[in-house]
Amino acid sequence: MYSINEELKEKISYLNRVLSDKYRDILSLDKGFIRNFIEKNIGPIIKIDKLAKEELAYYSERGGILGVDGSSNRIGGAYPHFIEIYQGLAKSTLYKDKPIYKTDFYTPLYMDDRSPLENSPEEEIIIRQNKLSTVEIEAALEGIRKFHPYAVIMDGSLIRYAIESSAKWKELREVCEKKGILLIGVIEDIKTSIIGNKLKEDKSLSIKECFYDRELLYGLLEYGEVILIESQASKKAQKGDEGFASLFMRSSQAPAVIGMDILDSQREDLEEMARLILTLTPKDGRGIPLWIDIVDSEVRIPDKMIRTLLEANLDRKILEIFFISQREKRTL
Amino acid sequence: MKVVGITTQQEVYVASRERNFRINEFLIISDPYQGDLMGEIVEAKTYNRYIPLNIHGDLADSSVIDSLKAIGYNIEEDTIYIGKLRLLNEALYPVEAGSDVRVPAFGEVKDLMIRSSPQEGLVLGIIKNTDQMALDMDEEFKDLLYTFEDGRLKKQEDIPYIYNIKSMHQYPHIGVFGGSGSGKSFGLRVILEELMDLNIPTIVLDPHFEMDFSERGAYLPKERAVDYKDKFKCFQVGFHVGVRFEDLSPQDLKNLLDASSPLTDAMSNVVDILFKGKDSFNSFYNRIKMLAEAQEEGTIDRINRRIEEASSNLEREGWIKRKEIYLNYDKVCPNSSVRGIMWRLKRLDNEGIFSKDIKPIEEGLHMGKLIVIQGSTRILQVFSTYLLNNLYRKRREYKDALYKKTAADYFPPFIVVTDEAHNFAPKGYDCPSKAILKEISQEGRKYGTFLILATQRPTLLDETITAQLNTKFIFRTVRASDIQTIKEETDITEEEARRLPYLRTGDVFISEAALGRTIFARIRAANTTSPHTENPFDELRNRTAEEDEKFFEIIKDKLPINGDDFINVIKEIEGETGITYPIKVFEEKLEDLVEKGIIKKEKTPFYNIYKQ
Repeated sequence: MYSINEELKEKISYLNRVLSDKYRDILSLDKGFIRNFIEKNIGPIIKIDKLAKEELAYYSERGGILGVDGSSNRIGGAYPHFIEIYQGLAKSTLYKDKPIYKTDFYTPLYMDDRSPLENSPEEEIIIRQNKLSTVEIEAALEGIRKFHPYAVIMDGSLIRYAIESSAKWKELREVCEKKGILLIGVIEDIKTSIIGNKLKEDKSLSIKECFYDRELLYGLLEYGEVILIESQASKKAQKGDEGFASLFMRSSQAPAVIGMDILDSQREDLEEMARLILTLTPKDGRGIPLWIDIVDSEVRIPDKMIRTLLEANLDRKILEIFFISQREKRTL
Repeated sequence: MKVVGITTQQEVYVASRERNFRINEFLIISDPYQGDLMGEIVEAKTYNRYIPLNIHGDLADSSVIDSLKAIGYNIEEDTIYIGKLRLLNEALYPVEAGSDVRVPAFGEVKDLMIRSSPQEGLVLGIIKNTDQMALDMDEEFKDLLYTFEDGRLKKQEDIPYIYNIKSMHQYPHIGVFGGSGSGKSFGLRVILEELMDLNIPTIVLDPHFEMDFSERGAYLPKERAVDYKDKFKCFQVGFHVGVRFEDLSPQDLKNLLDASSPLTDAMSNVVDILFKGKDSFNSFYNRIKMLAEAQEEGTIDRINRRIEEASSNLEREGWIKRKEIYLNYDKVCPNSSVRGIMWRLKRLDNEGIFSKDIKPIEEGLHMGKLIVIQGSTRILQVFSTYLLNNLYRKRREYKDALYKKTAADYFPPFIVVTDEAHNFAPKGYDCPSKAILKEISQEGRKYGTFLILATQRPTLLDETITAQLNTKFIFRTVRASDIQTIKEETDITEEEARRLPYLRTGDVFISEAALGRTIFARIRAANTTSPHTENPFDELRNRTAEEDEKFFEIIKDKLPINGDDFINVIKEIEGETGITYPIKVFEEKLEDLVEKGIIKKEKTPFYNIYKQ
């Protein structure tokens, strides 16, 4: 049997102590108090209903819903001997047999315009993020061209696309605004601290640390409840998010909360889109619309398949020299 | 349809997006290197990766699925169908993954499915899940039969299952296994109907009094009705048929007595000593009785005194005779054994076994008829021992004489059929009928004598006999020990054995040595019905209604009946119909009709008035 190192055990219980100390005050705050605080400082909490059949049928008539998601696989060892493969998928609910895939790859060993080994790690991360976001946006753009959907649901915050692939994002944004296609992003793991910042700002509360929204909202909302974030509340919290309207919602029985954002110009449709998300999300699920999960499962490529792909299309020598790490050959 | 996943030389998985697979369905793989390979589906599954069985994760609830459908996406269309296909013959190499799979045409499976023409074989039912292949089937195989599905008659859509009776010559004997209500007796009935159609001489031992073929199935269309009245004969042991005592050998007699109740060695010895050839029942019985009476006297002196004191000549002669028997046999025949034999003999005689012979049975067999022999299980055990020994010997003598080129009377080949066969050939202990059944099972093939044994407990059937049953019909079986026996005795697969407890009534696995594999079939609707099909509870209700009706008819004209006038009404009825009711019973019956709302009762201060 394995025996756990005593020191490790102690470190973990230390972590438990620290976290519970830090969060004791905030977690013991009255639920009603936080809800009040949110209504006053962030935006109204409202209850929304699922869409009726007729409304859904209307969506279907107007072109259905386009779901967009991306995936990345990394094969190989440490920098720079790896290759990352990106795949974006746009899939319309009406044309399920015509998925649109866009792909790209990245390896530090080969860049179009620069010599290899020149990028700093930060730059590299930016390049990789850019490539992934770009294939997703390209898939979305082609999907819009081909299917002319009623709405486009991206997996992830719209802000992320705006930051990571700003040129392509502008194109997408313009196309959607011009054609009147609703564009929304669904965020599974919210990383913002909009409420936390406000709490910290409030001098009467003497909260010194900044808490994340995920922590504060856990279990706070009822199923189907939504916090509409007033624009001035978020603006101070986030950089570079001009042009978005966002909300938090509890879209399933799971106590965690998801986020959703929409183009500012389409703000009046925010609530309707929230209802769409609620309608498409299994009540017992983890809060993500089933359609996004379906697109996600189709865009993901198993590592094994990628390997086979490389093995089939790269010369064995090249594969061995560059992309097979010694670590992978471990057998123990 | 395509071959997917890892393949072997024996089994592959096939998948389809469009069509579901059915168990026991035949498919052909078009392997690009090995050509066409035929296989049978042994397991069928469906899978939808978006509706996983995931208790803790996202469960796609129906409202979400409906909503997705409303915006144009039908998640159910993403279901894939997977079947496990077992090749009929092992391939030379593993099947090429990705090979196309298709439904075979009738011509490609004809040799596998059909071994006999409908005229020459037993048309017992359909081979399940073959409707697609049956589309271009030869006309002679179409429209041969009906099946029952959900209580309704259904036209034949599948390939018929025709048992090649000629194959019995090489692969003799049939076993029919299945629990009660599984369709076993009904399957047996269909087999017998087919044997009658072919005029094959058959003996049926029927302990349930159910093998009567005079009642036509009312559900069949008129033009399809078959009349079996002239093709079978029902005999009851002791009433129509019996044993001719004069024909018995000592061994026959011992078998009979043993079947009545097991014999001890001493008793068997008594029969050997006391039974003379050509004895009639009376001569043998008297001899035994006299010995027993003499033995009761105890000593020779007392018998002598009986002779002296006899009041008539007849009596004296009787005692002289007893004395002679006593002197001859007392030493070798203990009194208790003599009494035992006497008691068993009397019992058989009381059942009427010795009052008739088996002539009508032999005549029937010669005419190619189906002879049903009815009696209680015990009587049948006794009688069948004698009967089968006798008939089998006659057939054997004929065949042996042919071989030796000497003359002998013709005796036809025949089939012996019995339900509850474990009673006639039990495992573990000896029983007279077992010896003859065992003999027929082992060498009957040579002489053209075959067995069809049905039982709900194959585990209790003698193993030597079970091993000789080359064809087995296996209906629904629930008992684990029986399933185990069936697995050992047949070539049914693990998957098929697992399905045994869930088979529908009338569905059957047919394991044929002649075929080398198992067929999944459904027995056809019988042309005749069993006399025991009326539900006893329906019977009760109908009977009561009938009686009420009858009584009402009788009193109808007498209504209204006054409570103080019963005696006169009863008298009138007695005069008209001859039926007498006691006053008490008459009143009860009237009250009963009131309760059922057939007549009304009006109360007056003096008496009740019954009226319509």
